[in-house]
Amino acid sequence: MLVAVLMGATVAVSSVLRGVPVSLDFSSVGPFAFTLTVDRLSAFFLFLICFVAGPVIVFFIPYAEHHYHRAGRTWIWILLPLFLLSMVVVATASSAFAFLFGWELMTLFSAGLILVEGDSPERRHDLMIYLLMMHVGAAAVVACYFLFLPYSHSLDFAAIRGAAGNLPPTTRTLIFLLAFIGFGTKAGIIPLHLWLPRAHPIAPSPVSALMSGVMLKTAVYGFVRFGFDFLGGGPAWWGYLVLFAGAVSGILGVLYALSEQDLKRLLAYSSIENIGIIFLGLGTALIFMAHDARMWATLALIAALLHTLNHAIFKSLLFLGAGAISNSAHTLDLEELGGLQKRMPFTGATFLIACGSIAGLPLFSGFISEWLTFRSFLAGSTLAGAKAQFLLPLMTGALGLIGGLGVACFIKAYGIAFLGRPRSTGATLALEVPTAMRVGMMVLATACLAIGILPGAVLQPLLLVVSGLIRDSEIPPDITLISRTVPLIAVSLLGLLAVISLTRRNRRAVPTWACGLPELTSRMEYTSTAFSKPIRWVFSSVYRPDRKIEVSPADSYFPASISYRSVRTTSFEKSLYRPAVDGIVSVAHQLRRLHTGNIQFYLLYIFLTLVGLLAFLRIFR
Amino acid sequence: MDLVSLAAAKALTSTAALLFITVLLMAATKRISTIIFLFALQSAILTVQVAIIAYLNNSPEAYAVAIMVLLLKVVGIPYALFRLIERLHSPRGVGASISPAQSVFVAVILIFLAFSAVRTYAADLGGMEEALAAGVALILSGAFLMVSRNKALMQIMGLLVLENGVFLAALATTFGMPLVIEIGISFDLVMGVLLMGIFTFRIRDTFEHLDVSKLRRLRG
Amino acid sequence: MRVYLDLAQALLLVAGAPLVRGIIARLKAWIQRRQGASIWRPYADLGKLFGKEDLVPPAASPVFRFAPVLLFAVIVLATGFVPVLHSSALFGTASDFILLVYLIALGRFFMSLGAIDGGSAFGGMGASREALVSTLAEAPLLLSLMSVAILAHSGSISDIVSWTLRQNFFDISLVHALAFAALVIVGIAETGRLPVDNPTTHLELTMIHEAMVLEYSGPSLAFIEWAQAIKLNLVLALLIGLFGPWGMATGLSASVIGISIAAYLLKLGVLIVTIALVESSLAKLRMYLVPDFLGVGSALGILAIMFTAFTGR
Repeated sequence: MLVAVLMGATVAVSSVLRGVPVSLDFSSVGPFAFTLTVDRLSAFFLFLICFVAGPVIVFFIPYAEHHYHRAGRTWIWILLPLFLLSMVVVATASSAFAFLFGWELMTLFSAGLILVEGDSPERRHDLMIYLLMMHVGAAAVVACYFLFLPYSHSLDFAAIRGAAGNLPPTTRTLIFLLAFIGFGTKAGIIPLHLWLPRAHPIAPSPVSALMSGVMLKTAVYGFVRFGFDFLGGGPAWWGYLVLFAGAVSGILGVLYALSEQDLKRLLAYSSIENIGIIFLGLGTALIFMAHDARMWATLALIAALLHTLNHAIFKSLLFLGAGAISNSAHTLDLEELGGLQKRMPFTGATFLIACGSIAGLPLFSGFISEWLTFRSFLAGSTLAGAKAQFLLPLMTGALGLIGGLGVACFIKAYGIAFLGRPRSTGATLALEVPTAMRVGMMVLATACLAIGILPGAVLQPLLLVVSGLIRDSEIPPDITLISRTVPLIAVSLLGLLAVISLTRRNRRAVPTWACGLPELTSRMEYTSTAFSKPIRWVFSSVYRPDRKIEVSPADSYFPASISYRSVRTTSFEKSLYRPAVDGIVSVAHQLRRLHTGNIQFYLLYIFLTLVGLLAFLRIFR
Repeated sequence: MDLVSLAAAKALTSTAALLFITVLLMAATKRISTIIFLFALQSAILTVQVAIIAYLNNSPEAYAVAIMVLLLKVVGIPYALFRLIERLHSPRGVGASISPAQSVFVAVILIFLAFSAVRTYAADLGGMEEALAAGVALILSGAFLMVSRNKALMQIMGLLVLENGVFLAALATTFGMPLVIEIGISFDLVMGVLLMGIFTFRIRDTFEHLDVSKLRRLRG
Repeated sequence: MRVYLDLAQALLLVAGAPLVRGIIARLKAWIQRRQGASIWRPYADLGKLFGKEDLVPPAASPVFRFAPVLLFAVIVLATGFVPVLHSSALFGTASDFILLVYLIALGRFFMSLGAIDGGSAFGGMGASREALVSTLAEAPLLLSLMSVAILAHSGSISDIVSWTLRQNFFDISLVHALAFAALVIVGIAETGRLPVDNPTTHLELTMIHEAMVLEYSGPSLAFIEWAQAIKLNLVLALLIGLFGPWGMATGLSASVIGISIAAYLLKLGVLIVTIALVESSLAKLRMYLVPDFLGVGSALGILAIMFTAFTGR
């Protein structure tokens, strides 16, 4: 399996560099046209899948050994390759059938992998929500393809691409909106994100890594394929729609992440945030394309694709780190962790690198893509028309807020889990994970640093990828600027650090003064809830927590016990999904009246339908 | 145009920016005394603007207006208001019904609305658009202050800010008002403040607070 | 020659930082009718701290020891981004404003981790409060810098400064006034000055930055204090460079450089006196009012960006 993954990565790299599409045609063996083609865009995503999958598999081997019984392990090693294969099919498909085939299987295999982890009513409920939303999304994607059919007469990608120019504008808009909904559901754009924080945390950690790191990216792939390759951009409002959806997802995603205390749920919400950042870049690119500013569209699209790659790497690294933590400390509750850096130095170091990357700090990979996004906002001020001139630069504020909150969120994730004193026996007794797991994490961590310090190495191939989507574009000056600047900064910083560390310092370990108590304990430390409290207070209108305080006996100055409960619901569940669900249920109740149980009535329905259809044909044709 | 008048013309637009900042600070502040201070500051900026216009048009009448604004709005009314709150002994808060950050963002939207509304007439204004936009923004935010604060004193403050806006808008469109009209308006204003001051005392004496949202009880 | 000038201005920011602190403290003492310590006192403090040994809590990991060094290195590196004496910074066109903002964030990220690593209640408290302030300060900071970058058509601070230098003082637009106000508000929050944070307090209820560094001692504390002083100097230099660069050297002759030094010191002096006056007359805001304060900054930043679209360029 590793060999296959390596081969996939090699094919991808060579295909990006040479630009010659590689095709496979299985149409002769199947009932439908089933062709796979690796063009540069596919190759980029193929590389992404294979590059992340390798370390995850290496990590998975000891992890599965440690966590699952024989039956579970068998299921994992059956389902995991199929899951990877389905994603590869999605990324490389060049006919609608192949794409949808992979798309559906991807959902099913990931659901199967979630079930391996265990079974309980709540898990089933979450899984059902996952499957349901995936199918709604898939329906939208199917509709997208079939809207092309009257114009292209074939569901081959080349035919679709050729037909896109002849579509009437309303159909184009309809296809775009459906693609946005379909792929947005898979990507977890707010408010279509409901499944994401439910499905990701309940999967085995390495599977979460693949789901968050790779599976979400197939949605980005689909959106880029439709929006840029097939449709070739559209009116500017498409871009603004995507831009605002991205901004909302980014801000709300990171706010929800910040308030979580379960590490994997925190990471799942932060995936929504990063998808938001990617869509900020995609939206900006669409706006530039509508204004025919190709160079800047190239810049924004590169920013989005690079963030896609970065997120794939650091998010899977973070999930692997979470897996390592649960492997050693047997919990993922931040309130029970702490002090792991001393006990698991290697995991801690890689986790720290991933946190630096996801927080968008310089010298780590996330910074490069966020920087490019900022620069494309700056370029927005050169567009014609006052609206575009300030709306794009205003997004700086949104991305700045996302960045600031992201830093706070990952100070919390790393600081509470790995630093200070251990808060439970599990954390106290934690041990470093086996070598194979460390190797997996190390590969990904190295990639984070490499992209962060030498961005030129990825940006040049990305230019090639994007040149296939946005033709006749000049190379944006920002690309060369960042490729030169960051190594310079890195070298200067390392030089400075070296000079400073030359100064000799005496060091002595002394217990902190505990105001006269015997010693400080972990109960005196700030908890993860306490850490995020000020920010939650400021944004309380977003969280709308339900608070319950029970004092017993009531109204007494010296109560015997006080219980405090605060439940945060995502405000969307209350205000958006609840009415929708209620509406559907009430419609279903109305429909129930049609079900009389009498077979003749059912026959009558069939008859009425037929007559109705005939009448429809007579009137409208 | 010589350098000084160029500078003066530029200063007119730059002071408009300062007015925007006072508007935002007024929206953010929580204390009545700060609002009064900001009002004095705002009036001082207005004085400078009138003086600049007086210099540009070389009209002694406008200088007289500037001096009147200075005496009345920078010194007189703020002093009277400070005395008033001293005598009232009421709590220092403005009784805001929305949080300062929210008010600030409302103020931003108001300023933006004012600016984009005025832009359509930019050609007719000849470089005074910033001043006019500031005037409209002052009118809007004065009204906003009156609506969103439920201390009786804040209604006076809102009115005063609103009047500053009307004054500035008139200044920007007419390039200096006739003195007589300005005197008339100022007299109105003094009367208004006087009456409102007396009313606040009555309200305080009757209800022992200044919260206008509780005046509903008068409905009977 | 030019490189020496570039290096000299960065060094000026680094080496002069404690002096700026000392002068502010002395001025405040003078305003409050106290004797006050010598203006060279911060240097003596740093020397004393560097001579001591580093006391480390037993729970701490290497992050605790590494954080102050990294903070100091990052802030020193950041001085290469800001023009002081002439219109180009040490890093020239690479002196990108986004990079500057995020470099400072990098230092703060590790400093907050170091604070949590101390394993006491105060470190976490300080880190949590710092996270609140810096999170809300980041957006207005980027917005205000972005607005001047839009006017200058460049993201590099050196380019922005040389563009501003070419403008007539009276051509300064609404955007500049708004961005300046926003940057002042953010600068106060970033450097932990009144009314956001009180650099001289040691009271649990009010500390933000001081709570973070409570566990540090000896050379580590010296690095932190020095970095904090440089940060203040950096923000002041940024305010001067972006909004009042007139007087900066354009050539390399001795007289021009002399004038630029004099002009810089004059402008710095005005800012220092303002800080001393403001800090002597204002009380610290309650922590839950800080978001409102920064909200005003954000609003100003948003307005600044909006007005860039209206200003004829």
